[in-house]
Amino acid sequence: MTRSRGVILTVLVAVILARAIDIVSAQAAPFGAPHPAGALSASGLTGWIFAQQAAFYRSLSGFIQASKEDGAAMWSLFGISFLYGVFHAVGPGHGKAVISSYLVANEETWRRGIVMSFASAGIQSVVAIVVVAIAAVLLGATATAIGLTVHIVEIVSYGLVILIGLRLLYVKGRGFLFACRELTWTQAPVLTLASGHSGNTFSLHPPRLGAMTMRGGQCMVEGCADHEHGFHCHDDHHASAWGHAHGPEPAELAGAGGWRRGLSAVVAVGLRPCSGAIIVLIFALAQDLFWTGVGATLLMGLGTAVTVAAIATLAMSARQIASRLSKARAGFGVLTMRAIEVGAAALIVAFGTLLLAGYMASEQLWMFTG
Amino acid sequence: MIRHACSCTSAVLWLFLFLDRAEAHPHVWVTFHSEVLYTADGSMTGVRHAWTFDDMFSAYALQGIPHAKKGQYTREELASLAQVNMDSLKEYGYFTFARADGKKLKFSDPGDYWLEYKNATLTLHFSLPLKAAATAKAIQIEVYDPTIFVDFEFAKDKPVSVSGAPQCLLTYDLPHQPTPAEQLRLSQLDSDPLDASSSYGETFANKILVKCP
Repeated sequence: MTRSRGVILTVLVAVILARAIDIVSAQAAPFGAPHPAGALSASGLTGWIFAQQAAFYRSLSGFIQASKEDGAAMWSLFGISFLYGVFHAVGPGHGKAVISSYLVANEETWRRGIVMSFASAGIQSVVAIVVVAIAAVLLGATATAIGLTVHIVEIVSYGLVILIGLRLLYVKGRGFLFACRELTWTQAPVLTLASGHSGNTFSLHPPRLGAMTMRGGQCMVEGCADHEHGFHCHDDHHASAWGHAHGPEPAELAGAGGWRRGLSAVVAVGLRPCSGAIIVLIFALAQDLFWTGVGATLLMGLGTAVTVAAIATLAMSARQIASRLSKARAGFGVLTMRAIEVGAAALIVAFGTLLLAGYMASEQLWMFTG
Repeated sequence: MIRHACSCTSAVLWLFLFLDRAEAHPHVWVTFHSEVLYTADGSMTGVRHAWTFDDMFSAYALQGIPHAKKGQYTREELASLAQVNMDSLKEYGYFTFARADGKKLKFSDPGDYWLEYKNATLTLHFSLPLKAAATAKAIQIEVYDPTIFVDFEFAKDKPVSVSGAPQCLLTYDLPHQPTPAEQLRLSQLDSDPLDASSSYGETFANKILVKCP
């Protein structure tokens, strides 16, 4: 009981720490004084970040205009765009939560987490550029039409997020049920054994016995040849023995199929272009500086990727700590990890639904333009 | 035990949720002038706004609007956009919230609206008549976006005025630094978020106060 509570507590602390580090590291970034207009929602560090990204955003128009005459201003513009991306991505949207949950649910590799973060941010930039290039440059569409396009793309993106979440929920939910069943199977012999001893032994030893019988249970399951995943009896030295009891093996995850799965999440998240990028691109276009706008958008994407990757990495390390702790407590440990995965999958569905319902991330471009 | 583990896990995952919530950020900046309209007998009839959008949003809104001369837009050329603006703003109650002695006032559809293009920015002019003229000792008008997607800011020069009631006293309040109580509420936003109907954003609203004898 206390051990499993410890696992959970550690995950909690890690997540809170992740949030704190995220904010503090942004705080330590070496640029100017807080924007006075930040009084709007200046609540400590969050308010500060809010004010910073607003200040960066507002300075973009000046830099875009300046880069018309002055080539050096273009580099300042790119620098500011990057920083804006870093700060802006702390806010809603940009798929931090979806990507992080996806990585936690799937126990993906570090490398893949970073690649996925960068890929989704890259797609996001490219989608913004493509939408503006086709709609505004080629077709001369109005803001209303562009807003509508973005809105439709958004709905598709959120729908895909829900689908990915549901698929994960199904796969992980089954894993959780298997873990539950195994635990109940192994509980019975433990209790019989323990009841033969004194009450004192009962309270001290069951976890250990549970762990041993648990392994026995797994080996028996392996005997079922038609089980689709196929179980393995791992030795103690195999680090991921318990973490993978019902999931694909690491080699399998890193294979081509794994990448394809990851790609679907990246595309679903990346589809939705950032309103800020669209506005900056159209502003640049109005100044006959479309390509400067494209450069700024790509750098914004790079900045966004850095933040998303940082948060995703922290989420994954939280999971890793939890999994290391849970390994010490076989039966319930496995169950806890399975539960975390199910929770993460459920969360992706929740994100998708909330986004679709317009509850989260209110970046309504159509507020004034229909 | 299992239930305990599950509930704690969901708590952890809800924390993830907040990584992506709570901080909306503006993409539209509006500096505004507002005129509170009174009749000679001292009852308020409506508000007349002039909202100037930031240069980037102005360029965005102007995208694809046909115009005869590059860099210039006439009021007629912008008429359709002004119509779109007013139609879209209806859903948000024109971001204008009024109370007479604490009682909420209702606005009817706006009239007399047009867009003006000057110094690379768009200014939206419109008047918002009250459904029924209001007589009260104190009338409070707030202009803000509860979702903070639009950042409203009083114009620097003479941001508010009253017309038709020289006896009334006009004051206005800038969004203020949060008080300790508000600061506390802000710090709890992550664990106890605002629900959709919350009017917490109004703490940071631009307030116009008209006091009549």
